[in-house]
Amino acid sequence: MLHTKLIDAKEKKLSIIEAENFISSSDFGASIFFSGTVRNQNNNKDVIGITYDSHDALVIKSFEEIYNETDQKLNIKDKAVFIEHSKGYLNLGEISVIIAVACKHRDEAYVLSRYVIEEIKKRSPIWKKEHYEKNESAWLKGNPILNEKN
Amino acid sequence: MKIILELFGASRDFSQKDYLEFEIKDQISIKDFKEKLLTFIDEKFKGNNDFKKIIQSSVFCSEKNEIISDNYKILKDQKIGIIPPIGGG
Repeated sequence: MLHTKLIDAKEKKLSIIEAENFISSSDFGASIFFSGTVRNQNNNKDVIGITYDSHDALVIKSFEEIYNETDQKLNIKDKAVFIEHSKGYLNLGEISVIIAVACKHRDEAYVLSRYVIEEIKKRSPIWKKEHYEKNESAWLKGNPILNEKN
Repeated sequence: MKIILELFGASRDFSQKDYLEFEIKDQISIKDFKEKLLTFIDEKFKGNNDFKKIIQSSVFCSEKNEIISDNYKILKDQKIGIIPPIGGG
């Protein structure tokens, strides 16, 4: 069971309650909620906010691929996964990503949660532009996407 | 033919719009299109090295939202996207 969505920060804030509603089931005995938030420091610079940019179709596709491959790679068949990511401008402390997972047992839930966020970091086309004092800003250097067809 | 390049992430600094338009005479591979882009940076941004690095470390995606290889050939009017190095979360 999977829910994925990109949320425009101008329209809505990410909600842990919605994540909980989606994954909650008496089929599962373990739930993990991960949220990423905008912090005030990076590389010794004071950050005042972050703009998230995304290639929406590729991002959703990557979320689905990551979810689907956990059947084989992690051997976790019974699960609920909720993934939402923000796009647009976020202030300090606001939630940029929520990954909520529910599985039968806690071992699986911890592994699954970690796997999903690490793969998103590696594969989902999302970019961050940090904003600083004095109207300065900079795109963060990311990781190149591997070209699977080369 | 016309190629519309959708800009994402750091490549958004290449234009005030969300895309760039290129008029190309013949079919062109992604590898050669990258060279065109580097020439564009030379002409428009005096060879800005940071911009060139962005192009060199990017991949491209097709209208069908698939990552395409350097050998992929653009044969007709098409919209493609440039995907610079990523880092969400």
